[in-house]
Amino acid sequence: MANLLRALLFLVCLSGLTTPPAQASDYLDELTARSRELRLHERREWRRLLHYISNLARPGVHSLADAPGFFLARDGKTNPQAELEATLASFFSNAEETDDRQNPQCQFIARYAWLDRELAFDPARLPPQPCKRFHAWREALNPQGVTLVFPAAHLNNPSSMYGHTLLRVDARDQDERTRLLAYAVNYTASTSETNGITFAINGLIGTYPGTFSIMPYYLKVREYNDLENRDIWEYELNLNPKEIDWLLMHIWELGPVWFDYYFFDENCSYYLLEVLEVARPDLDLSSPFRWWAIPSDTVRAVVEQQGLLKRAVYRPSNATLILHRLGLMSASELALVNSMSRGRVSTEAPSFAALPPAGRARVLEVSHDYVNYLRATGRSPVGEPAALARELMLARSRLGAESGDPPVPVPEVRPDQGHGTARIAIGAGHRDGTDFVELRARPSYHELMDPESGYVRGAQIEFFDFALRHYGSGEGLRLEEFKPVDIVSISPRNDFFKTLSWKIDAGWARRRIESGAEPLVFEVNGGAGLARNVPDALHGGPLIYAFLEATARVDERIGRGFALGAGPSVGMIADLTPRWRADVHARGQRFFAGDTDNAWATGLRQRYTLNTNNALRLDVSRERQEKQSWNTVLISLYHYF
Amino acid sequence: MKKVLIAITLSALPAVAFADNIGSCGWGAKLFDGQKGVAPQVLAVTTNGTFGNQTFGISSGTSGCTQDGMVTSTWKTSMFIDGNKERLARDMAIGGGETLDSLAYLMGIREEHRAQFNRAAQQNLTRIFPSENVATEQVVVALKDVLYSDRILAQYAASI
Repeated sequence: MANLLRALLFLVCLSGLTTPPAQASDYLDELTARSRELRLHERREWRRLLHYISNLARPGVHSLADAPGFFLARDGKTNPQAELEATLASFFSNAEETDDRQNPQCQFIARYAWLDRELAFDPARLPPQPCKRFHAWREALNPQGVTLVFPAAHLNNPSSMYGHTLLRVDARDQDERTRLLAYAVNYTASTSETNGITFAINGLIGTYPGTFSIMPYYLKVREYNDLENRDIWEYELNLNPKEIDWLLMHIWELGPVWFDYYFFDENCSYYLLEVLEVARPDLDLSSPFRWWAIPSDTVRAVVEQQGLLKRAVYRPSNATLILHRLGLMSASELALVNSMSRGRVSTEAPSFAALPPAGRARVLEVSHDYVNYLRATGRSPVGEPAALARELMLARSRLGAESGDPPVPVPEVRPDQGHGTARIAIGAGHRDGTDFVELRARPSYHELMDPESGYVRGAQIEFFDFALRHYGSGEGLRLEEFKPVDIVSISPRNDFFKTLSWKIDAGWARRRIESGAEPLVFEVNGGAGLARNVPDALHGGPLIYAFLEATARVDERIGRGFALGAGPSVGMIADLTPRWRADVHARGQRFFAGDTDNAWATGLRQRYTLNTNNALRLDVSRERQEKQSWNTVLISLYHYF
Repeated sequence: MKKVLIAITLSALPAVAFADNIGSCGWGAKLFDGQKGVAPQVLAVTTNGTFGNQTFGISSGTSGCTQDGMVTSTWKTSMFIDGNKERLARDMAIGGGETLDSLAYLMGIREEHRAQFNRAAQQNLTRIFPSENVATEQVVVALKDVLYSDRILAQYAASI
């Protein structure tokens, strides 16, 4: 609202300025004529600066920007030429810069710089404005480089794999040790809404304004690494000083502008691509993401540009660091961390004093980090966790020794180097006495059985997965299943991370009814459970899991039109080799309301990774529904892209 | 709820978020307190949203910042301390780290005196962080004192 007001005020201010005095008016006519001759409004740079995209159905273009103050012509949102000419006219304003208002030359400094480059403004007839605010801002940023920042997934929250991206402006006088002091440029939906559901719905229909904000990077690092426990990947980009200038000038222009924010397309990542395209106009990054921009895919698009990536830096989260160091500990050290971080053993305890200095340093540091982890996740172990954290650090400061622990190893495969998030599969199989062929596809993102490199272990998030089958006899071609959403988080528990595993999916699947027919039935299934690595909870290895699940089905063709069921499921996922994964599972469900039934299914899924984007799958299962049982075997080739 | 803890912009909640009266440029105070519950997190995160962020370039200057979102030089150090107390205490206790390096840089401590600075911070942690909810100003004053009482580091005491 405040933005809108300001934008309106700005328009009012401008309207008084758009008629320049006589000699200026001659020069404006001259510039306008030249811009028409050169057809500047059709240039890629102009389109990029104004965020014009082609209309879907009608000819012409429209801008994605939604703040009226971003346009100087009344029809600027849809008329690039009118906007360009109004912009030229506005540059003749002699409005002084104040804290509340800028001269148009300064407010639209990238447009000014570009038009000046193309038309070579005569400083005598169009005096350049000093733009002190912009220059002070730029000087404070002191830019030398730009980094694309990608916070990866939350612990136990597959949906965060979907991710977020922001830019970091690296200053000339910083180095690797002082990178925290850089500024971060962040594009987000701007709202004070705190209800997640309201937020999600409004975000889907684009009712929030998306705005750019700038803040010290250390605040973002704290937010992601310490509070949300997400690892951060930093991709330093190879932009030259000129390109960095364009980028900053454009970000300056976008500072007060808002765009309607849509979670799935016009989101953080989409606009960052557009900003990068202003920096380097021959990049074509954003167009593939016009309708569906997954942050990690946009990172991939940037990194795949020849020579654009300088290097990638990994910044592990607090939880990652704790897990890594717990894995290095002896049993007595683990026991001490467990009790010390809960305030049950003091730093004076004999069992602690008995450790060598390096061991004591390790125990104190990990206990401290773990207390802060518990605090940040709302599970404070003691009444005054901050006091306990301080006490642990005071003890650590008196110690003077080093733990000597190696740093968290950088994952061999970065998030942008994992399999593509879209997937297509062809397969052949045999089910209940009939042969079939299958085509399966999904636009995003990752399934438990997909090759894991670059993704988070135990995390699955899939959107719009569907399977078509053609049966050799009887049924012919049919839609076997369609799942708009399918999320699973199998998060191993140990003495420190007492995470709950969970799953939820919704969609249509074939269900056998009493007559033996198999209508496509809508079904929602969800569950909560526990998981654990065996034999050792703190190190990787086979993962066993157990859920209690509930299912609701609605369809007029099943008895009484609905069915409610519940029951347990168990399984084990094991990597037999780095390429070969097996998941053996069983599930029983008792449908107690509506169409009653005792149903169960058991099976073995196997995946063999051929290379990053190809894998083989062999799934066998036995199912029982409505007192009928059958087997299925299916072999498929999966391709990711 | 994922974002509640960071969502409160200074303009909305000045006294609570920053009792220390340290500026924050309206980018939202970080409260180091709990978040719970899977479902709200899922929603907030799937939709990659952040609640409540302030645009730059439009807000008139909050203490410590220009109206265009840059931290003014006189506030840089205290604002950094304010936003990084937990990490700073940890680095000081251990005797080094990225956060302490960044602080040393802000204070203009030259490379050859960094080890001395780290050591002084480690040895004086109790003074610098006399309690768990110490105000930022107190940390700044104590840090100044520690520097003054060190023969080599005294030259830097005026820079915070």
